[in-house]
Amino acid sequence: MKRKAFLIDTTRCTACRSCQVACKQWNKLTAEDTVNRGSYENPPDLTPQLYNQIHFIEQDRGKDMRWLFINRRCQHCADAGCVKVCPSAGALYHTPDGLVGFNQDKCIECHYCVNGCPFDVPRYDSKQKITKCHACIDRVQNGLLPACVKACPTQTLQFGDRETLIAGAKAAGKKLYGENDLGGLGVLYVLDDEPDTYRLPKNPAIPASIFFWKDVVKPLGILGFWGAVGVAALHYVTVGPKRIEDEPEDKSPKGGE
Amino acid sequence: MTQYVERFNALDRVLHWIVAITFFLLLLSGIGLFAHTFFGYFRLFGGPHQGIMVHKWAGIVFFISSVLLFLRHLGETWRFDADDRRWIVKAGGYLSRKKQGIPQGKFNAGQKLFGLFAGLATIVMGLTGYIIWDPTAFTRELTQFSLMLHGAFFTLFMIAMVVHVYLATMGNPGTLEGMLWGHVTKAWAKKHASKWYAKMVKS
Ligand code: HEM
Ligand code: SF4
Ligand code: SF4
Ligand code: SF4
Repeated sequence: MKRKAFLIDTTRCTACRSCQVACKQWNKLTAEDTVNRGSYENPPDLTPQLYNQIHFIEQDRGKDMRWLFINRRCQHCADAGCVKVCPSAGALYHTPDGLVGFNQDKCIECHYCVNGCPFDVPRYDSKQKITKCHACIDRVQNGLLPACVKACPTQTLQFGDRETLIAGAKAAGKKLYGENDLGGLGVLYVLDDEPDTYRLPKNPAIPASIFFWKDVVKPLGILGFWGAVGVAALHYVTVGPKRIEDEPEDKSPKGGE
Repeated sequence: MTQYVERFNALDRVLHWIVAITFFLLLLSGIGLFAHTFFGYFRLFGGPHQGIMVHKWAGIVFFISSVLLFLRHLGETWRFDADDRRWIVKAGGYLSRKKQGIPQGKFNAGQKLFGLFAGLATIVMGLTGYIIWDPTAFTRELTQFSLMLHGAFFTLFMIAMVVHVYLATMGNPGTLEGMLWGHVTKAWAKKHASKWYAKMVKS
C-alpha cells in the first residue's frame, strides 16, 4: 500500500489552534487547567490529553518580535524508535499505509517508548497507558481526513498520499524536513528557519544507546546464552568433568588442581 | 576421623541460595521485556504487571544479598598470587584431560574472577535497575543508557551464570555438596583447593 503522510507548512500557520481543539473533540480528550507563563503558547508541551500542540517560538528582536509556530505531534516514522523498544508486540504498530498506531489493550505500561522516540512524543494517561497522535486511523480508514487536518482553516495541515505531497511541495519550491530521515517521516515539515529553531533534531535518529540495546545486545544476548550452554555441553562430552575418583590415593595434603 | 571438611557455614549457604533463587526469579521475570520471543514468560507470574512487580521486589532482595555475599568472599577473591596467574594462563586445566597440578586457595582463580564479576554486575544491575524503575523519572539520555547497560550486563551475567552452574555441578562432581550442606570430602579439597586444605588440616 502507498504511504500516507501529513505535510505541515509552518509558514501558513496562524496559531489558531483549531487542530488542538479538533483533536480533543474527536478523541474525547478533556481540557486541562493551565497557567499563564507570559506566552501565548498553551499548553507548553504535549500531554496525555493533547496529541498535537502548537509550539510558539517567540524571538525578541528589539522593538520587533518574531513569531514562529509549529504543530508538534508524532512523526509517524518508518523506522520508529517507539515500535523498536516496545516489549509488547502490537501495542505500537505500523498500519499498511505507514502510520503508527497504538493499542492500549496490549500496552503493558512499561513506559519504554518515550525513551525510544527521537521526538519525545509518547505520553501516559491516568491508566498509565500510552497516548499519542494515531493519525486518526479510524477516520482515515473510512475515507475521512484526520480531524486536525479537517479543522485547519489555513491549509497548514495537509494529509494524503506521501509521494504526491512531496512532489507538490517540491514543485512549489519548498524545502522539506523529514523526507529521508528514519526511513522517511510520516510528517513532513516546511520550515521557515533551521530545524533547531523549532526544537527539532537536525538529523533525527534512533538514540545510540537504544540502537545498541536492541540491535547489538539483544541478538548477542540470545546467541551468547545458547553459545554458553553449547560450550558447556561440548566440554562435558569432550574433556569431561574433573572426577575425584580419578585421583590416586595420596595421603599428603599436596597436589591439587 | 571424619572424611569431610567444612567449606561453607550456614550463613554462607543461606545467603548463596537467596541470591541464586532471586537471580532466577529476576531472569524469568525480566526476560519477557528483553525480546518479543520471551514475552510469554510473563505468564509464569500471571501477566506482565505481576511479572514486573516480582522483578522489582526480587531486585531489592537480590541486590542486598548479592552485595553481602560479595563482601563475605571479598577477603578471598580480591588477591591473586603467582599460582592464580598460572591457573589463568592454563585456563584452570579445563581445556584438556591432562592433570594440571596448580595449588589453589579456597577459591581458584576462575572462581575469584567470577566472584568479582558478580559483585560488579550486581552493582551495575542495581544502579541501572533503580534508574529504569520509572523510565520517565530521569533524563532521557540516562534512562536510554541504563536500559542498554541493564540489558548488556544481563547478557554477561547470564553467560557467566551458565558457566558457573555447569562447573559447580556436572563439571566438578562433589562441589555442589559444599553449598548444599556445607561439607566437601577431603579428596575433593585436596584436588581442587590444596592450599586451603593444607590450612584447614593445620587448624
Ligand atoms: C540488582 C537488582 C535489579 C533491579 C533493581 C532490577 C530492576 C529492573 C527494572 C526496574 C526493570 C524494568 C522493568 C520495567 O520498568 O518494566 C528491569 C528490567 C530487566 N531486568 Fe532487572 N533488575 C535487577 C537485576 C536483574 C538481574 C540479576 C537480571 C538477570 C538475571 C535482570 C534482568 C532484567 C531484564 C532482562 C530486563 C528487561 C530489560 C531489557 O530488555 O534489558 N535484572 N530490571
Ligand atoms: S515520532 Fe516517536 S512516537 Fe511517533 S512514530 Fe516516531 S518514534 Fe514513534
Ligand atoms: S508503555 Fe505501552 S506502548 Fe509504550 S513501550 Fe510500553 S507497552 Fe509499548
Ligand atoms: S491526526 Fe487525529 S489524533 Fe493525530 S493530532 Fe490530528 S486529530 Fe489528533
